[in-house]
Amino acid sequence: MRRVLGVLGGVVLLMLLWEGYKAVGDPEGTKLFGTRVLPRADDQSMPHLLDVVRRLSRPELTGGRPVWHVVFDACLFTLGVTAVGFAAGTLIGFILAALMQRFRVVERGLLPYVVLSQTVPLVALAPLIAGWSGALSFGPYPWEPWMTVAVIAAYLAFFPVAVGLLRGLQSPTASGVELMRSYAAGWWRTFLKLRLPAALPYLFPALRLAGAAAVVGAVVGEISTGTRGGIGRLVIEYSREATSDPAKVYTAMAGAALLGLVVAAFVGLLELPLMRHRRRVEVNVI
Amino acid sequence: MTAVSIAGVSKVFNAGRADEVTALSDVDLTVDNGQFVSLIGPSGCGKSTLLRLIADLTEPTAGTVTVAGKPAAKARHDQEYGIAFQQAGLFEWRTVRRNVELPLELRKVSRAERRTRAEEMLALVGLSDFGGHYPAQLSGGMQQRVAIARALAVHPPLLLMDEPFGALDEMTRERLQAELLQICAKTGTSTVFVTHSISEAVFLSDKVVVMSARPGRITATIDIALPTRDEAARQSPEYFALVTDVRKALRA
Repeated sequence: MRRVLGVLGGVVLLMLLWEGYKAVGDPEGTKLFGTRVLPRADDQSMPHLLDVVRRLSRPELTGGRPVWHVVFDACLFTLGVTAVGFAAGTLIGFILAALMQRFRVVERGLLPYVVLSQTVPLVALAPLIAGWSGALSFGPYPWEPWMTVAVIAAYLAFFPVAVGLLRGLQSPTASGVELMRSYAAGWWRTFLKLRLPAALPYLFPALRLAGAAAVVGAVVGEISTGTRGGIGRLVIEYSREATSDPAKVYTAMAGAALLGLVVAAFVGLLELPLMRHRRRVEVNVI
Repeated sequence: MTAVSIAGVSKVFNAGRADEVTALSDVDLTVDNGQFVSLIGPSGCGKSTLLRLIADLTEPTAGTVTVAGKPAAKARHDQEYGIAFQQAGLFEWRTVRRNVELPLELRKVSRAERRTRAEEMLALVGLSDFGGHYPAQLSGGMQQRVAIARALAVHPPLLLMDEPFGALDEMTRERLQAELLQICAKTGTSTVFVTHSISEAVFLSDKVVVMSARPGRITATIDIALPTRDEAARQSPEYFALVTDVRKALRA
């Protein structure tokens, strides 16, 4: 409950900052030695929040569907892509972390490349993935453009999971591992009973990062591959109308932000049932 | 049949390298059934290594280790021993009861039986009311008692303990010593106990094995025959005489 209030408070604070700056800021922006240090505060650059909200209910184009409906559908589309990318990325990260924990050689050989993978600029990578995957198909099902976007989301999402989970799997103390050995438990049972539960406190922050990365991957992936139907694409489309209809692009951006919050909340929910002991610790009896 | 029999055991770490260390050199040791044996000596004398050899957590460079009449590796697979370390090492995500159930789970004991056995063990260490608690809610002494309950859960004929009370305060330590003796007497478990406290070794043991470092070897074996093991025993002249004997052996 306190967390929900915290989030709401943060949103209200942001809104106050926005409108507050708009009220006191120079409409032409503040310049220092010819360089703009504060943004323009005119209606064109920073529309009133109320205008943005009003814009949601008006049609996208004359006679079209209302903007909120379009934004909502686009968010839903991107949410689906994000979910697929997040799931695939988490699975891949999980497998990589388990392999790296099991085989020292794999860790030494693979970990540098896992890190390296994230330094490749996404914008350069996206057309490449689109190019490769265009030639793929699952039997009778052809490769869809959204799958390319999901691949990009997964590409960003697997990294925190692989690195975070690996650290978690390696976190049990030597005596814990020896205890399992004294029970004649093999690698698999040690993994299930000791390493995996011990890794959970490391896994959840990693999943949160992965969720955020998957959203970014999906949005940027849509933009750089030109996939239609998602919120990323919508931001680009609406920003073309920014001069004539400044409130419109902010509706799409608000949608993208909301999408991020939904994914973050979902990952937060995953955590609840599995971290019971953490919460109970606070009830110290002795 | 003897609980543990060690013959001509040596252990060399990093053999053939510049940092080669002879942790143990030509060690012979026998622990009879039901006997309580302490290993005592300065740091680096190989007492923990010796315990780990019995537990088959490390392998000897030379010699043989027999536990319950079997090679150490076989004995480990058959869970012929329970082990407790200086750190209780409880799994913080499991309740106390489920911690005690862990070795039974790995032995594929049925759920109902696990439950009964865990309750029985918790009663033995006096923690019946704390089965549903998480380890972080317990004090250090209570955690160590859970670790002992866990070590005893499979009813092993042998209990191995590596400075289990080392991290506890003196009062808790003495109380747990008395409890440990009662438990061992009740269950008939043989025990190998590593410690660097002379008084602890003398109070608990039937036999104190004194070791020295570089290379780790057994320098003396002192039989302890105290008539009773209670508070009175801690004050008795025999007790002090034996403490002096062990201290002299350690200095020699």
